[in-house]
Formats: sequence, structure tokens, C-alpha cells
Amino acid sequence: MSIPVEVSLQAIQSELAATDQYAAAAGLLLDTSTLAQSNLRFHVRFENRDSEKFYVEFECADYPLYPPTVEFVSQDRSQRGTAYLYPKGFHPMPCICMRYNRKAYQERGGPHSDWRLLDWRLPTGNGIGIDTLTLIVSDLHSKILQSSGRMA
Amino acid sequence: MKIDRLPDASDPAGQHGQGPPTIRLRVQTPRGLWSMDEPKEATKRPEYPISTKIGQVIQDARDVFKFIETDSKYTLLQGKEILDPQRTLVSFKIEDGALLVLTVQGGNA
Repeated sequence: MSIPVEVSLQAIQSELAATDQYAAAAGLLLDTSTLAQSNLRFHVRFENRDSEKFYVEFECADYPLYPPTVEFVSQDRSQRGTAYLYPKGFHPMPCICMRYNRKAYQERGGPHSDWRLLDWRLPTGNGIGIDTLTLIVSDLHSKILQSSGRMA
Repeated sequence: MKIDRLPDASDPAGQHGQGPPTIRLRVQTPRGLWSMDEPKEATKRPEYPISTKIGQVIQDARDVFKFIETDSKYTLLQGKEILDPQRTLVSFKIEDGALLVLTVQGGNA
């Protein structure tokens, strides 16, 4: 099952207005310059507590039916998913091990065989369901800001 | 720092400075901005005596935006500074009109 790209793009853009407001207040850099029907990606720059910068790519094919693939990338986006690009404190795979990240699902090579992509909005444990792009950004913002150093 | 005062029974307009000093905040959350006029349907507003603890502001912002899950982690920030819930607004020198950010962290798998 897949979602037409124009539907995904509209869903993403409608949510990004709120994400932009949150990012501006939080001092995060939201870059939507590459977002298009042919490239359903946007990027956010975060900082950890030592002011080290981390770059996250949101690849949103089939959003909102399925969660985005959320991955740490290099500033120029030529490298992705290496331990060096991750802050300390994330899953050592390395992976952002949350239901909102498609990479965390075993069918996408991740550690979780017990999750279904269609259920991505469900809470992890007894916490809040991270079910919007802004909540995903806020979850990452909180975790990265409390982190110090890189995974490798 | 601009400081208002809460009215008290003897000075309902707060014009004589009898009540405790208060400040008005703006709190950006992942579900929207909480301010003196947003969201329209909010049942409380972010106006506080400066002796209010950060934890109370967090709880009120959660109430306004219905962040009811107790196992999530809610953190209030001023810039990059994490505000200790046990401390007061005045102890962080938070000024009238300050923009704070409420982060919401889900559980870990």
C-alpha cells in the first residue's frame, strides 16, 4: 500500500507550519528547501548541551500512512547513519529507536519485530504517542539537548 | 524587568503594588503556543507570580494542551537552558514576555 506523493506532500506541508513555529521558538533550524513531490525530505539542525550540531533528515514517503525514516546525516548530507553522526544516548545500532522512525522496524532492518508500521502513532511504553512531525522534532530536541558527545 | 502585580482583595486593580509581582509568559509547545490570547479556548493563561515554581508552569501548559501521559518527560526550556521544575521563575531571571519552550519526550524502546 502506498500514498500518492501529492497527498504526502500536502500532509507534510500542512504539519510543517506548526513545526516551523516550534523550531523557531526552540532555536532549531528547519530546512524545507529540498521538499518537493520528487523528494519528500526535509532536515532539522539540533544542538546538544555542548552546542555541537547534529543534522537529522526526515524522509517522508507514504506519510502519514507510514512514519518517516528519521536519520542522522552529515551537514552536507553526503553521509548518513554512522555512529559519529549520532549523539550519545541513542540505540547503538545506531538507530532512533522509536515507533515514529521507519528504520526502527525489523522489516526495514531495525531491531523491532514486535511493531507494525501501521501502528506507528501508538505510544512507546506508557508515554505519549509521538504522532505528528512537530512531536517527533520535540522528542529529538529533548533527547539531543540532554546529550553530550557523539556515539563514536 | 517589567513586573506587574496580581490584584488582591483590597486593591483589585493592583495599582498600589500590594500583590506579589507577576509576569506574563509565552510557552511554545509541540501542540501550539500558549499565551495571554492563544489558544482561544484555553481555560488558564500564563500569568504568574515570580515565585511560582517551574513545575507549575509545566503542569499548566500540559493541562492546556492535554498532555495527559504521566510517563512522558516534559521539560521547560529558556533558550538552551533546562529549567529545574523545583526552582522558581524569579530564580532563573525570567522576564515578563519571555518565550519558553516545552519539550515532550516519548518513551524509549
